[in-house]
Amino acid sequence: MSNKPVNHARAAEHFLEDAPHLQFHDERLWDMRQKRDGQMHMLPEWQELREEASRIKEHTLSRLPEYLEQFEENAKKNGIHVHWARDGAEHNRIVGDILKAHNARNLIKSKSMVTEECDMRPYLAKQGVTVTETDLGERIQQLDDQLPSHIVVPAVHKLTSDVARIFAKDYHTDPNIRDPHLLAEAQRQAARPVILHADAGMTGGNFVVAETGTFVVCTNEGNADLSATVPNLHIATIGIERLVPRMADLGVFIRLLSRSALGSPITQYTTHFRGPQKGGEMHVVLVDNGRSARLGMEDFWTSLKCIRCGACMNTCPVYRRSGGLSYGAVYSGPIGAIIDPTFNERKYSTLPYASTLNGSCTNVCPVKINIHEQLYKWRRVLVQHHEMPFVKREIMHMAGKLMGQPRMYRAAIRMTEVSLGSMPRFVLYNWLNPWGKHRENPHPVKQTFNDWYRKNREKTKPAAAPETKK
Amino acid sequence: MSAARDEILQALRNNRPTPENHPLPPVKTLGDLDASRERFIASLKILGGDVLEPVKGETLDQAIMRRHPDAKVICSNVPEAKGTLPVEKVKTPQDAATIDVTVVRAPFGIAEMGSIFLSESQLPINSFAHLGQHIVVVLSPDSITANMHTAYQERPEFRSANYGVLMSGPSATADIQGVLIRGAQGVRSLSVWFA
Repeated sequence: MSNKPVNHARAAEHFLEDAPHLQFHDERLWDMRQKRDGQMHMLPEWQELREEASRIKEHTLSRLPEYLEQFEENAKKNGIHVHWARDGAEHNRIVGDILKAHNARNLIKSKSMVTEECDMRPYLAKQGVTVTETDLGERIQQLDDQLPSHIVVPAVHKLTSDVARIFAKDYHTDPNIRDPHLLAEAQRQAARPVILHADAGMTGGNFVVAETGTFVVCTNEGNADLSATVPNLHIATIGIERLVPRMADLGVFIRLLSRSALGSPITQYTTHFRGPQKGGEMHVVLVDNGRSARLGMEDFWTSLKCIRCGACMNTCPVYRRSGGLSYGAVYSGPIGAIIDPTFNERKYSTLPYASTLNGSCTNVCPVKINIHEQLYKWRRVLVQHHEMPFVKREIMHMAGKLMGQPRMYRAAIRMTEVSLGSMPRFVLYNWLNPWGKHRENPHPVKQTFNDWYRKNREKTKPAAAPETKK
Repeated sequence: MSAARDEILQALRNNRPTPENHPLPPVKTLGDLDASRERFIASLKILGGDVLEPVKGETLDQAIMRRHPDAKVICSNVPEAKGTLPVEKVKTPQDAATIDVTVVRAPFGIAEMGSIFLSESQLPINSFAHLGQHIVVVLSPDSITANMHTAYQERPEFRSANYGVLMSGPSATADIQGVLIRGAQGVRSLSVWFA
């Protein structure tokens, strides 16, 4: 995998060129945000729920080893096989070995961001296993060979015509279909035989309950339930941060999750797995993949509270106008921008800059992660670690020198004002001035504040003039 | 124990924030505690489910035929309905795929969400709740709990069932251009019959 920094700005530029997609994407996500607000206003206890959720998660993270052991003990008692994976490669090997032991060649799976992290599908393909995504959006992305662009609605950047084109190729449907109902029906008809003949099913897990050894999966399509109840072999891949201590804690999180995500009170299916079904076998793979290291990062460990609702993405003006794929990472949007650098600081060094720092992400987060503050803190870390593009670094370097010397600064400002008013456009708008891309430079002013101050106030109150102190 | 397990747990022990600074908050019951049938029905309808109301002395079988006139295979796991396919015939998970309407009883519902709960105790086989085209759920109006807090605190099924699903209306998706479609991969409709 390439280690080159993701060029988010250029990818976003590309996204912005396509007006119909851009407009739909922006409006659809904003609509989700507004529906979320509608749900929030119906519950007077909303802020209390967020506070509870945040406290429960922080508590759990501070005692994660104990709760993981408790979960493992209870799950084993109920007949679940529990595996541990340090990274993606180990996870893939474990899953591959389980499938091989059962001679399972056809795996159906519901959406799981962790398997995306582990890049599992290509690994299993090499082992001769056919993996079929059963979530509609995820299936569209699989057929189009793209990462999910959103953690809840993976194909939200696509229009009906895109889906019609993709399905025509693989499902032999009419490429001119413009009715989403017909396309959803095509997916149902195509998926059924695959589900009925699958050798194994795979799901993720939204929550894990330590005291009972239960894991919970939330979906709207019911595809996780089909994946888990039709084949007799069920493998669940779950990040180690997904724990909650008590069954009662689910009350808080289930009330927040879908309301924050889609603005619906609850997902259509909320499924609790506590053991294998009659005649079946159940495996849980607990995946670290950088999480234990993140827990030790003083400024960033609370990002592990995330319940993957996507509310921060829906509200983010940068995400809505650049699309999830522009982040070039498994996790996109504000939450992606603060966790991706923990996977690869250099490759994802540009993502913390994909933000206006408006704080909206923090305000909608159901578990109260201070996302915009972490974005800011990541910028500091990246500068300290020299993970900053050349032009930006040099500009900051020059600006730092300039601002440290008031006389030079004022002279420069005066010159800038003159240039802004007199220079030809090609001098002002070029690659050396990224600020001038897609927007106009500020209008020059006739008089700077400092000039105005000297003229109007300095004479009357000479002692207050800043430069006389030097 | 595996090396991976020990290594992960050790890393977590080394890296975690100070546990004393993050005490476990006590369990709370928040929000509306109305456990009425009316609230349940209103919530159920928001999520696309519906109530099957008997028309003058109708039996459940008759009501199902009225609601689903094209249904050929009706399979009931409750004494209130006979259906057309004896439930004993459903032996493997795949057997449920031919059913048009499945009939089950839910041990409880949740008023806040219009959710009904099903586990292996109510199902001949777990796929029974998902592979049929439509589902009819028999629910006693006395077994409705107020909200998610009361459900998780009071219902013993969450601690005893190996498989427990809260279904809130039928299967749904909005993955294609944001258009809401009821009946995605699982049941196309969910109706509740109070008895």
